[in-house]
Amino acid sequence: MKDVYLILKNLTRKPLRLFLTVFATFIAFMIFGTLTAFQQAFDAGVDLAADDRLVVVNKINFTQSLPIAYVNRVRAVEDVEAVTHLNWFGGYYQEPVDQFAMFAVDAENFLTVYDELLVSDSERAAWIANRQGLIAGKSIAERFGWQVGERIPVNSNIFSQRDGRTDWDFDVIAIYEGADPQTDTNSVYFHYEYFNETQSFGGDWIGFMGVRTSDPERNEAVIQAIDELFVNSPAETETVPEKAFNKAFIEQIGNLSLILTSVVLAAFFVILVIVGNSMILSIRERTSEIGVMKTLGFTSGRIFRMVLAESLLLAILGGVLGILASGAMVALVNQAPIQLPVLVLGGSVWSQALLFMIGLGLITGIVPATNALRLNIITALSRS
Amino acid sequence: MRGFFSQIATVVAMNIMSLPRRLWMSLAAVFAVSVVVAVLLAFLAMAKGFEETLAGTGTESVAIITRTGSQSELNSSMSRDTVNLVSTAPGIAQNAAGDPEYSAELYVIVDGIKRSTQGKANIPMRGISPQGFSLREQVTIVEGRMFEPGRNEIVAGQGVQREFDGFELGREIRFGKTAWEVVGIFSTGGSAFESELWADAPTVQSQFQRGSSFQTVRARLEQPGNVEPIQQFIDNDPQLILDVETEADFFAGQGRALTGIAIFGWILSFVMGLGALAGALNTMYTSVASRIREIATLRAIGFSNSSAFVGTLVESLVLSVIGGIVGALAAWLFFDGFSASTLGASFTQVVFTFELTPELFINGILLALTIGLIGGLFPAWRAARVPVVMAFQGGE
Repeated sequence: MKDVYLILKNLTRKPLRLFLTVFATFIAFMIFGTLTAFQQAFDAGVDLAADDRLVVVNKINFTQSLPIAYVNRVRAVEDVEAVTHLNWFGGYYQEPVDQFAMFAVDAENFLTVYDELLVSDSERAAWIANRQGLIAGKSIAERFGWQVGERIPVNSNIFSQRDGRTDWDFDVIAIYEGADPQTDTNSVYFHYEYFNETQSFGGDWIGFMGVRTSDPERNEAVIQAIDELFVNSPAETETVPEKAFNKAFIEQIGNLSLILTSVVLAAFFVILVIVGNSMILSIRERTSEIGVMKTLGFTSGRIFRMVLAESLLLAILGGVLGILASGAMVALVNQAPIQLPVLVLGGSVWSQALLFMIGLGLITGIVPATNALRLNIITALSRS
Repeated sequence: MRGFFSQIATVVAMNIMSLPRRLWMSLAAVFAVSVVVAVLLAFLAMAKGFEETLAGTGTESVAIITRTGSQSELNSSMSRDTVNLVSTAPGIAQNAAGDPEYSAELYVIVDGIKRSTQGKANIPMRGISPQGFSLREQVTIVEGRMFEPGRNEIVAGQGVQREFDGFELGREIRFGKTAWEVVGIFSTGGSAFESELWADAPTVQSQFQRGSSFQTVRARLEQPGNVEPIQQFIDNDPQLILDVETEADFFAGQGRALTGIAIFGWILSFVMGLGALAGALNTMYTSVASRIREIATLRAIGFSNSSAFVGTLVESLVLSVIGGIVGALAAWLFFDGFSASTLGASFTQVVFTFELTPELFINGILLALTIGLIGGLFPAWRAARVPVVMAFQGGE
């Protein structure tokens, strides 16, 4: 108990220095918390990808199309539970800069293959029944203020109708939510039939297919079976697990996790140096005191532990405040009207942060604690 | 007045020369500032490099014609008839034979393997004609030869060579059922065209089932920068649903895609800068505390308190400028000329190199100076108020 009192007294003896070191630690952990939340959001597409889902694309590149006749042939493959097909529409709402992900899909099967997009059974039936109906994700609907029941025009920056118009009218049938907080709800889906019959470029081709298999264990066999179907045809296919597809897609932007990790490391390194130096200095200033304590019978081990406890406390104080602040930052970013994945500051960030706090506390405390441990009473008292 | 300045000079010299005594604390401050500056400059150099690459891609003397609203070459499309019609527009320069100088082009996406991630990435393949070459400045074949019309041959840009596997000279590549051979490597002086594969337009049309359609038309302008006559021609013909822009404007818009990265870099380095500021304040308060008897003694022998103030402030500024220079040099060493690629407006990889321009360098030094100024100001204020009596007391 007496030790705790002494540790607290030592910690607060120079309030300004305490504030500055805690503040520096606070900044580092705030950066860590916020950037880790970003990284997890970018990785969500990979982490949340269904293990039993495959993507079938044109072997040349996923932007090249496939004949629609492929869909039924894939459907007949053993261990394929459900197949849907998707066409990128290049949709934008009112302003060309307001682009979003919009796909023409096979509505009957779409929600079976992508079952993490949640709509009620009645909404689902209503969508299938309405050829001009679309379902929009929660985020995108909020961004444009769309309401269920509204009729909205959406433009395409790729396609035009036969009369030359580039806008299509749609009924907003449902606003879907994600099964997970980080499920992407920035996309819009509508009927392939509506698209195929009205657009002007000659139809009956699809962008890519989503396939649900009966069991992730069977994926390899299904992948082989599908790709073999179309070998030597004008449009060969390449079938990949959704996880792999999403990973390659996000990596096209660049090595985001490398950038974010480097920044976090840089921030921690700076703080390590600042806090470590400050700890060494504050123990050195107390040299004669430690000499007195040793004279009074404090064992070296006890002093070692007290110094280490002080640096740990310092790191945890700044760290916890920093992560709390990053929680506020995350909430702020989620509110911002920009198209970003939903950020979540989860338990994994907290547990990682706690580990880092303990690590920081130990590393910054070990040198001064060892110095204090080794300190000889006579030199300590003569030095002042 | 001379006494005032010589006092300041003396105190500054004393502070700077006694720095080794406070070596570790001073190094901590220098280091913190240098990391913050390096982080800022890395992000700014990334955004700058991307912007410059695209800015260097477009020229004022060429117009680019796309389908209305398509915003990128990938999304655009037009028939042979449309191409023929729009190529007769006034304002398009003519060659010696009296024919309009234009190039109708295709833009398809194929897969490449990105070296940095070993993952698949979108590489643009452009169907182009000899006229298309003459419309681009500085195109040179640096290795191998040009493709021959009518054959499945490709020339690959130097950027593609640098960032992606699979397009080495002499390599055979399969796109679906058809095989292509890389017969040459071209350079366009660092512009975004170097991120592309080029092949004969009619061959691309037939091998990618594009019929006789094209995606964009490039035309040399009679008067550089003036697309007005073409615009009027398009407006007067209801059949033409097209946009026209100078190539410079077209690519300048795309170059702003990484502005967000620069903003992110500023926010990040501002926040990190606050951390470094805490370090600088810590260092400078410690410095003042350790010199308290010295400062008081100087005051006792007649030095002004402003000399103590300036001395401390200069010490802080010197430390931060050293940090700024070290950080900027580190950023320059590690990042200047660093090659990277990212998804551009046409949904394809744009290869670019980081560029640490002098202007960005100055930004970094200014950030360092700001940290040094604020980090020195408060401790300097304390130094200026050290009572003379401290000279005769225990000090700390």
